[in-house]
Amino acid sequence: MTRSVVQRDTLRGAKLIGAVAVVVALVTLPAYGDQYTLTTFIRTIYFGFLALSVGFLLGQGGMISLTQTAFFGISGYVVGLLGAERGVPFPIPELAGLALVAVTAFLFGLIVMRTHGIVLLMLTLALGQICWSFARQNTSVLHGWAGIRGIQPPSVLGLDLTQNATFYWMSLVIFGLGLLLLWRLVESPFGLALNGIRESPRRMSALGYPVFWLRVTAFVIAALYAGVGGILAAWSSGIVTPTALQLSRTIWILLIVILGGARYFWGPVLGAVIAVWLDVIISQLTPRYNTVIGIVFVVVILVAPNGILGVWERISAKRRRFREVAENEHAEALSTAPKARRRLSRAEED
Amino acid sequence: MISHDAIKKTFAPLVAAGIIATPAAAFAADGTVTIGMLSAFTGAFASFGQLQKEGAVLALEQRDYKVAGKTIKIIYADDQLDNELAVTKAKQLVEQDKVDVITGLVSGDEGLSVGAYMKDKNIPVVPMYSASEDSTMREWYSFIVRPTWTGAQPMDVFGYWLAKVKGLKKIYMIGEDYSYPYNQAGGFKRGFLRGGGVEVKTIWHAVPTSDYSSIIASIPLGGKYDAVLYNGAGSDAVAFVKQYVEFGMQNRIPLFGQSNTFEKPDLDSMPQEIVGAYSAHLTADDLNTPNWNKFRDAFKKRWNHSPSAASEFAYGSMELILRAIEARKGDVADKAALVAAMRSVDMSDEPRGPVKLDDYNAAIENVYIRQVALGSDGVMYNKGLFTAKNVSQFGPYDPKVYMKQPADGRTNPPDLRVEMPPEMLQVARDYEFVPFGK
Repeated sequence: MTRSVVQRDTLRGAKLIGAVAVVVALVTLPAYGDQYTLTTFIRTIYFGFLALSVGFLLGQGGMISLTQTAFFGISGYVVGLLGAERGVPFPIPELAGLALVAVTAFLFGLIVMRTHGIVLLMLTLALGQICWSFARQNTSVLHGWAGIRGIQPPSVLGLDLTQNATFYWMSLVIFGLGLLLLWRLVESPFGLALNGIRESPRRMSALGYPVFWLRVTAFVIAALYAGVGGILAAWSSGIVTPTALQLSRTIWILLIVILGGARYFWGPVLGAVIAVWLDVIISQLTPRYNTVIGIVFVVVILVAPNGILGVWERISAKRRRFREVAENEHAEALSTAPKARRRLSRAEED
Repeated sequence: MISHDAIKKTFAPLVAAGIIATPAAAFAADGTVTIGMLSAFTGAFASFGQLQKEGAVLALEQRDYKVAGKTIKIIYADDQLDNELAVTKAKQLVEQDKVDVITGLVSGDEGLSVGAYMKDKNIPVVPMYSASEDSTMREWYSFIVRPTWTGAQPMDVFGYWLAKVKGLKKIYMIGEDYSYPYNQAGGFKRGFLRGGGVEVKTIWHAVPTSDYSSIIASIPLGGKYDAVLYNGAGSDAVAFVKQYVEFGMQNRIPLFGQSNTFEKPDLDSMPQEIVGAYSAHLTADDLNTPNWNKFRDAFKKRWNHSPSAASEFAYGSMELILRAIEARKGDVADKAALVAAMRSVDMSDEPRGPVKLDDYNAAIENVYIRQVALGSDGVMYNKGLFTAKNVSQFGPYDPKVYMKQPADGRTNPPDLRVEMPPEMLQVARDYEFVPFGK
């Protein structure tokens, strides 16, 4: 008993050390990474927000939404329309963008959150496609296919965000805050209620939870995450075009979330890191990179439906069980061998 | 023992992060000049991207990738015709690969997006097929050198010719709804209305569209318009032309095209009923000059098919870059001097015809009026009819007057002659047409 407590403590200690090391490595990245590494991490962060948006709904609420890229695009378009084209100063375009995202998500939520499963999927697909078509076909305000160019990151608190390193640090801080907030949310009663809805909406409803409104709230929160990603993307790339909203992007994000592990808090983040870097590295090796990346996705989803974190959990669970069994066998000598064997078989059933 | 595992577990992502944080950064060795070619090698314009690549590779291979003792390293970046991705890939070429020149660029919006990002990078940008005129006009800066074309450049000539020489008065134009067709439409309207035309009715459709039945059904018949002009290219053009012929429209009202509508290889997928259709471009398939023939034969030998405009533009642009590097004796450190060298390169032996650069580093060149014809081998091609020489991106207009007009869009310039600003209907000297090949 005491031994396992010690183990748990060392494990927690090691985890803490590891986490601190990752944070230090990320914060000091501009010191040792080249410019393009920073650019790619910035890209990872803004797609990371989008992945968190999809992952939160899917992992915590059991809802597959294909509208999230639309929110990513909406905030980017507002920043472009107000900030770049009409010269409205920071932070009004950004706040207006998020406000429009929240309002749109609320209205969409009223429509789609009464449905579940495949109907929800189709409705969110339809809404996402409507937004995309509108962006593509509206040439008078949104400039259709061409989109909006010339978006600049604002200067806040005297920071020069046109510098890659500064922009990276700013994105990292925002991403850290976003993760912290989402973590608190997932652990809160609201998060638990959402988990309950994921498992059984009817039972939650019978328990007196306002299932519909909880789901709408979750949808708005997820949309805001996508919206923040959209603002960072617009600042970083300087343009926003209908391709930001298109279906292939939506599906790519969904794959990212599944690749990392939709059930896990860190799944979308891990998925975004892997997918963005895979794109960068493979596209430099072969012009057929889309095929290679597609095969990777297919293999991961076939072999590991719970994503990379799912595989990781399975491996470590097996190891732990193996160790427990070995320890028991060692302690309980030969006379109690059948008991250990029973334990083993029970462990396997789990 | 266990804690060791745990450490490994928690450190694994960190190690992974460390590995990916240092990608193979390409440090330009002393003997290397790095050229980044950013284009749509996949996606809707993949065929143009590929044709472009073939032309550029031919120019490089003819010099065995060596100029003035330097090895030319070319890095291809695919933007899938996604402007956001184009900017990301441009960042990759600049920040990671440290390229000395960026070239490629197939669509108009791609050129403008990458141009906006490259503005403060002090690296020469040489767009090949990207034809939005503002890259070398209203959004131009001195590091952009475009020895190829703008959308309006051949179309102004085409419109003027149809009105002045063929005597047409009213055209019904159906176009793809984005910047390059706007620019082609703008050039056409200016030329056509200046030449005596009365109206160019414009209809826009989303890109891509596969079913044109409602659009074709709504074309007014009974002599209201003299001709239909399809202002689109690629798979849209193939679908439109096929359906136009299926409806039997070509017997009721003639069909013309914009510069790319009847370009090869798309032309090979079109029905032969369209033989006789007019268009205008900067190349023609039956050009018969020593420079063109030399290029065509080399291209055919290397790639087993005939070159199209996109390949020729890429070949010429790459030649311009390589000759400038040669003129600088391989010294590419001073980028402003490299641009100056590009400006003074002699391009009079360009395969499609002599090319000079104007004050905005844009090409002054021949425009050819062409007609789809059937070759003796049963294959359709674009046969040259007339040549307008030394056409600038401003057409026959004074650059100052031209640049004062709003940029071409869906609704400007206007459809009607009566609504056209008077200064755009009168020029000091208009085009002269000489028979093709003279």
